[in-house]
Amino acid sequence: MKEQQTNATPWQGTTDGLPWMHRALIRVLGVVPVGFVYAIAAVFVVPFYVLARPQGYLVQYRFFRRRLAFWPLKAFCYVILNHYRFAQVIIDRFAVYGGRRFRFEVEGLDDYNLLAEGKSGFVQVFSHAGNYELAGYELRQPRKRLYALLFRDGSQTIMENRASVFAPNGVEMVFVQPDMSHIFLLNNVVRDGNIASIPGDRIFGSRKFVECQFLGASARFPLGPFQLAVTRQVPIVAIFVMKESWSRYRIFVRRLTVEPAPSAASRRALPTLVAQQFATALEQVLRRYPEQWFNYFDFWQNEDSDI
Amino acid sequence: MTELLETLKQQVIDALNLEDLTPEDIDVDAPLFGEGLGLDSIDALELIMILEKEYGIKLQSPAQGKEIFKSIRTMAEYIQEHRTK
Repeated sequence: MKEQQTNATPWQGTTDGLPWMHRALIRVLGVVPVGFVYAIAAVFVVPFYVLARPQGYLVQYRFFRRRLAFWPLKAFCYVILNHYRFAQVIIDRFAVYGGRRFRFEVEGLDDYNLLAEGKSGFVQVFSHAGNYELAGYELRQPRKRLYALLFRDGSQTIMENRASVFAPNGVEMVFVQPDMSHIFLLNNVVRDGNIASIPGDRIFGSRKFVECQFLGASARFPLGPFQLAVTRQVPIVAIFVMKESWSRYRIFVRRLTVEPAPSAASRRALPTLVAQQFATALEQVLRRYPEQWFNYFDFWQNEDSDI
Repeated sequence: MTELLETLKQQVIDALNLEDLTPEDIDVDAPLFGEGLGLDSIDALELIMILEKEYGIKLQSPAQGKEIFKSIRTMAEYIQEHRTK
């Protein structure tokens, strides 16, 4: 594990489709059973993306072959399942915008409530696995506000609906700004006893990263969320929201350990250790839900392309 | 002011572990981020902690940050005006 800096352009996932399509989907999901829309996705959308976006197919195929050591046929089936599951979680987000609610079971709710009811601010770190956005509707923090650092999605419809659904739950969106004001804002958020929600698997804003062992190989994780927790000496918790059935999700709350750091020198070594805890927790969840890894880029950077 | 500038340079070197630099190497008017000292945005967290712990200053407006941390001199000017210890 070591801290480094990349000059690579960060991969930004955005939601496909035009604004009127998003608005129409929200309306449809308000009246049509979600299973029907899943079926449409399975028949039309999944084959389209498998054929039209071969890069995503190949990245996922390598993920299953190399990182999980699946046989070729099993890897192929899981790539299809991965695309279907991804379609489902996107549909579920739109269904929530349309008023639908899902059932949740939470592992580690006591840990979360302890933090949410405490005086200290904390950092909430997540991955693009499962459907983290739905945690914003289930995990409550009545005494705190949650500030979620996000990519600015190209779709105005999505941003407006996110904002309207998040607002009653005390969730506000923060976007990466060229003037770094998001850094100062997130610092103030945890300093003042609130919650900073930051992706733990995308290097954007800051280009600094740490290399951690993840599913049997070295992979890059952003330094930012872990550095913020260590610098401010506040708790940090990993949240994973995984789809289990059409109507049910399981939320995993995993508390990561931030040791006291009396000096700047000792603080420097700590973010890598916390990042490795996050990578390990993410690996455990992915081994249980392998089809719900939704990072469609070469996360391990140096994968050979012979598979 | 000169003393504050020198102290601040050393504090930045210590906080960010800039082992290859001495205070004499740092131009007080050079940009801290991008060109100049070449700091990354996440390094701003350590600069914020210098203001809080050494000078008792808590930044209130996130929009101010970029102006305050433009250079060692702008940091020093802000500290001189707002320090509580």
